[in-house]
Amino acid sequence: MAEREVEVRNPSGLHARPAASFVKAAGAFTADVRVTNLTRDAEKSASAKSVLGVMGLGVARGHQIRIVATGDDAAAAVTTLTDLVAAGLGETIEEA
Amino acid sequence: MTLELRGIPAAPGSAIGAPWIHQPSDSDAAVRSTLPTAAAAAAAELRTMAAGLRADGRDDEAEILEAQALMAGDPELLGSATSAMDGGTDVVAAVNDAGEAVAATFESLEDEVLSARAADVRDVCARIARHLVGGEAPRLERRSVVVAADLPPSVTVELDRALLAGIALEGGSRTSHAAILARGLGIPAVVGVPDLVRHARAAAELAVDGDAGRLVIDPDDRVRAEMASHAAAHGDRRVADAAFAGRLLATADGHRVTCAANIGEPGDAAAAFAAGAEAIGLFRTEFAFAGRASAPTEDEQAAAYASVFEAARGAQVVVRLADIGGDKPLPYVPIPTETNPFLGVRAIRLAASHPDLFPTQVRAILVASARTGRQASIMAPMVADAGDAAIVRGLVRDALAAVPDAPTPRVGIMVEVPSAVLLADELAREVDFMSIGTNDLTAYLLAADRTNAALAERQDPCHPAVLRAVARVVEAAAAAGDCAVAVCGEMAGDPVGACLLVGLGVDELSMEPAAFGAVKRAVAGRRLDELRALGTAAQAAPSAAAVRALMAA
Repeated sequence: MAEREVEVRNPSGLHARPAASFVKAAGAFTADVRVTNLTRDAEKSASAKSVLGVMGLGVARGHQIRIVATGDDAAAAVTTLTDLVAAGLGETIEEA
Repeated sequence: MTLELRGIPAAPGSAIGAPWIHQPSDSDAAVRSTLPTAAAAAAAELRTMAAGLRADGRDDEAEILEAQALMAGDPELLGSATSAMDGGTDVVAAVNDAGEAVAATFESLEDEVLSARAADVRDVCARIARHLVGGEAPRLERRSVVVAADLPPSVTVELDRALLAGIALEGGSRTSHAAILARGLGIPAVVGVPDLVRHARAAAELAVDGDAGRLVIDPDDRVRAEMASHAAAHGDRRVADAAFAGRLLATADGHRVTCAANIGEPGDAAAAFAAGAEAIGLFRTEFAFAGRASAPTEDEQAAAYASVFEAARGAQVVVRLADIGGDKPLPYVPIPTETNPFLGVRAIRLAASHPDLFPTQVRAILVASARTGRQASIMAPMVADAGDAAIVRGLVRDALAAVPDAPTPRVGIMVEVPSAVLLADELAREVDFMSIGTNDLTAYLLAADRTNAALAERQDPCHPAVLRAVARVVEAAAAAGDCAVAVCGEMAGDPVGACLLVGLGVDELSMEPAAFGAVKRAVAGRRLDELRALGTAAQAAPSAAAVRALMAA
């Protein structure tokens, strides 16, 4: 199992296009990957491979999320996805 | 029998066609496909439509459908539908229930962007359900007026454009997806027509008048003739208007008025200038605040505002301070429940209860101004009197102390509260410019709720009371000397309204860029003395309809 936390800093959070990029990236791994929005509800998680699940977490800019993966490529999945989030999921991050 | 229904005009033009009533698939029909097959077919169909929109340069609409294609194959959606089926639920109900549960979650998060996506999820599930029962894609067989309670964008896109004469919706507003798409595609549309679906079922033909917001059931020869000439004129008009879009806004005898754009996102600025804007007359900043759990920081806001200053390349940009209110509550701007948020603690009235909101925003505007070396124009909404104007000037003074290298901004107010009209003399001396928000001003002056379709006739800004208010503000500004008057309501983008405003002496008209051509052509067709005389005569007319008749004469 691998696990990491990261702050979502791109302007539209995990809505719309960034959610789609995130889910597509997660779909490339065989590991089971789940996401939790620690800022909104630490008890609720969703599959990182479900765009509806990820959108339903209501992740806005500034929210802290936790990514947990289990399975063969769990470590790679967590690293790739947290790096993608940290890099802004294709959106420009304005330095705070 | 001919029957006329009133609605809200959503896309201009008029058309006649057979009624075609859109409704979700019949859930009692026999199932002919499996869930995975139906979901894959729905996703493929959405992707094809999205690609077609991309090819037409309609990227925003394409993105909606691309997101829907991803939803159609969503493992959690299909997983929860499958478990419901294992529990004995029928497959169509299982898909619709699963979609409903997701939509309800989106709506419960109090996030405007996500709430809007709930309708997209329901639309996707309806599409999967249609494939399950082997239902046909909605198809028009003759020239039709599409009737629905509400029309999802995906359905609007897949209807045969050659046969889609018009759109009439029982629900919806000017800003619903269907209305925006209809305007973009040039399809006449009327929304908010009460009892429409019931009437349309019994009708043989429907006539849509998207300019007046009228829907005629079984039009007689008189309406038919009227619509036909109207439709021909509309086609000619669009071509003629387009030829004027890039010109300057001026009367036939050369009296110039600034043609400015209203924008709601930083990304809209470049397109507005490309379309012929000389300035941004209204940059709404609510985008920076909506759909998030915490307030945007000064840096986040500054970056967004700076991008607009850059796109403007020295042209004036009027940044309006956030118009936040109880109608669209934000998690980080708590407002106690109000019976009428439009008359509640909104906009500049939040300055006292939320001491960081506006200082942060004004500093962000000045940081953007300093960074780009461009002077900002800062405008406060809902200013009611000189006390409110003093609050705005205080905000700017404090922010300038914090950002001393910013050029001193122009400070202005929206004139939309009737008290500001009566106090315009005092206000004009306090500020550098006033911009009249004719939408709210009309609603407040005539006590007619903008969202109530039954009051549509009382919402026309060409009402003599609104014209007198504009004249009053222009007069006050002239007396004060150095105070400019703009209009940034929908009246400025209406050719008749724009002509009246020029005649009343307004310096700047700010509108959606799509209106540039029609407004410039209308104003160019009249001399200034003619418009002044009409402006004076119109103030004495008995009603808005009489004003429009006077202008058409």
